[in-house]
Amino acid sequence: MLNRDAYESAFARFSETLPAATIAPRRAALQRFLDTGLPGKGLEAWKYTDLSPLGAEAVAAPSVRGRPETPLPQFPGMHTRCWVNGRAPDGDAQAGPVETPSGEHAHDGLADLNAAFALRGIDLRLDDGASLDAPLHALFVTEPQGDGEMVHLRHRIALGEGARATVVVHELGRGDAPRWSTHLLDIELARGARLRLVRLQDESAGTRGWFEARAAVHGDASLDVTQVDLGGGIVRNDWRPRLLGPGADVVLRGLMAPVGRTHVDSQFLTEHAAAHGRSRQWFRGLAWDRAQGIFNGKVVVRPGAQKTDSEQRIANLLLSPRARINAKPELEIYADDVKCAHGATFGRLDPAALFYLRSRGVDEATARALLIHGFAEAVLQHLEPAELRKAVVARLLERIGNEIDPEVLA
Amino acid sequence: MLEINNLHARVGETDILKGLDLTVNAGEVHAVMGPNGSGKSTLSKILAGSEDYTVTEGRVRLLGQDLLDMSPEQRAAAGVFLGFQYPVEIPGVSNMVFLKSALNAQRKTRGEPELEAGDFLAWVRHRVKQMKMDPAMLSRGVNEGFSGGEKKRNEILQMLVLEPRLMVLDETDSGLDIDALKIVAEGINALRSPERATLLVTHYQRLLDYVQPDKVHVLSGGRIIKSGGPELAHELEEKGYGWLSEQRAA
Repeated sequence: MLNRDAYESAFARFSETLPAATIAPRRAALQRFLDTGLPGKGLEAWKYTDLSPLGAEAVAAPSVRGRPETPLPQFPGMHTRCWVNGRAPDGDAQAGPVETPSGEHAHDGLADLNAAFALRGIDLRLDDGASLDAPLHALFVTEPQGDGEMVHLRHRIALGEGARATVVVHELGRGDAPRWSTHLLDIELARGARLRLVRLQDESAGTRGWFEARAAVHGDASLDVTQVDLGGGIVRNDWRPRLLGPGADVVLRGLMAPVGRTHVDSQFLTEHAAAHGRSRQWFRGLAWDRAQGIFNGKVVVRPGAQKTDSEQRIANLLLSPRARINAKPELEIYADDVKCAHGATFGRLDPAALFYLRSRGVDEATARALLIHGFAEAVLQHLEPAELRKAVVARLLERIGNEIDPEVLA
Repeated sequence: MLEINNLHARVGETDILKGLDLTVNAGEVHAVMGPNGSGKSTLSKILAGSEDYTVTEGRVRLLGQDLLDMSPEQRAAAGVFLGFQYPVEIPGVSNMVFLKSALNAQRKTRGEPELEAGDFLAWVRHRVKQMKMDPAMLSRGVNEGFSGGEKKRNEILQMLVLEPRLMVLDETDSGLDIDALKIVAEGINALRSPERATLLVTHYQRLLDYVQPDKVHVLSGGRIIKSGGPELAHELEEKGYGWLSEQRAA
């Protein structure tokens, strides 16, 4: 059962900080959320990730604290902007009324929850032909707060014709308290625009997070995504790119590495709505302990989207007997002249490769780490600059409890 | 240097080695030949510490240390090197990372300081040149997409970088064209020294034309059934293995 009182009173407190004109549409969104509730097992798309039990827990309005308590990661050559507990440091106004087009989200109830409470996150708009001077490192730090405290953010990246940008979305959670986090990202790429997007999800173990990115990719525009899931408690990611013009190009690649009892559910829904589009969905999963991973992907080719070239590859390594990964690549094709490939593999560390490394003098733990890193490298090699890659590798090795020196891998 | 006494080993329920005795002194090169299924590869892998086999009896000593008590990585640090018959591909782990991890791990186990990055690089480049390999291979995945011949050459490169005391080469000559065979042989000969010993496991005489053995042994049915000088290899090349088995049965 949804704890309606908790959400109502959290909203009442939150609305005191809002400009008067924005309260009504947010209240309407809250009402829709309360009517819909959280997604649960009754829904096919949520069968592995049942969030409905969480609805009974207490929640609290987003914090107003805006200063990080610990040193923050920075990467050379990047411009870092830091949000702490959802608040931008420069005291940006709240996001105005936020639209939530019904039926376009992985779950309307969650989208309405976000709409009711969302603060403004990334808001990047580039004119035709413009480009960012330096990659944007958008860092979302969550410091320890009270139980149930929520961070909801709404992001927007809109690039004009031929515009170019590189954005790193970095979620970094600290502390152990249970909390809610949702990020909704809208991407619009006009003709010939190019966006490289890196997402590093490194939330705290108590975080239940939903991240959804919807992208409209027009002709000859390119969206290149590298997602790395390193943290979180219950994590759900939805990528929904639409290829809307000829020559549109979308690459989604991702690595998940859940440990402990972490649950990571990554979904993608790629829609080819125009001819001559190319999409790549390359995901890798590594699961330890009792962690659970899910990859569910679908590529839809609309009528008329001839010469579509699409590929889905999902590869997984299970690193302990109780770890689980479910993967399901799907295709739905309504055009007859297309090239669509898909496949999923599962395996354990190759004993022959382990012996090969050990026979050269490498101890077993390091050999395992090298093989695991080698598997992840297919995704990690796309992280730039090298410092960012190194930081991610170090974090990955730290999580798997290995003491191998990341410098060895540099 | 290497003393094997009465070695018995099995895989699953099948006995493969049935009382093998072999002694290789420092400075010597021994060739072990024999028909398919005689136990040649089993012997090589047991020396390197493969867990696919169970040793049921016997003793193996390297420089007085009991090898069978040691893990594969301890054996490597003690000086054992196995050139694999089928080298493994490891995508995502570059040859450079692989060599650096291996060399530094061995040095650390032996209580020697790790090499400085610059010194290591110079050392590896020197060996790559010696093996007439393209230095660009160092940034590629270990054996990833290598041809059979390139993989064997890479085994010898690793051996030259690691400078083991005991070199066990399991059919390193198979799959090599004549030019590659010469380069591989030069690599092996480059490490011949009074402090090292070599065990060449091979089907054919071919490699022995380039790496002259001090002794040749015939392994059959899990035992050494005949030992001799280099001339034995020529005799085997001429007559095959059949006459030896018949001789034994008689």
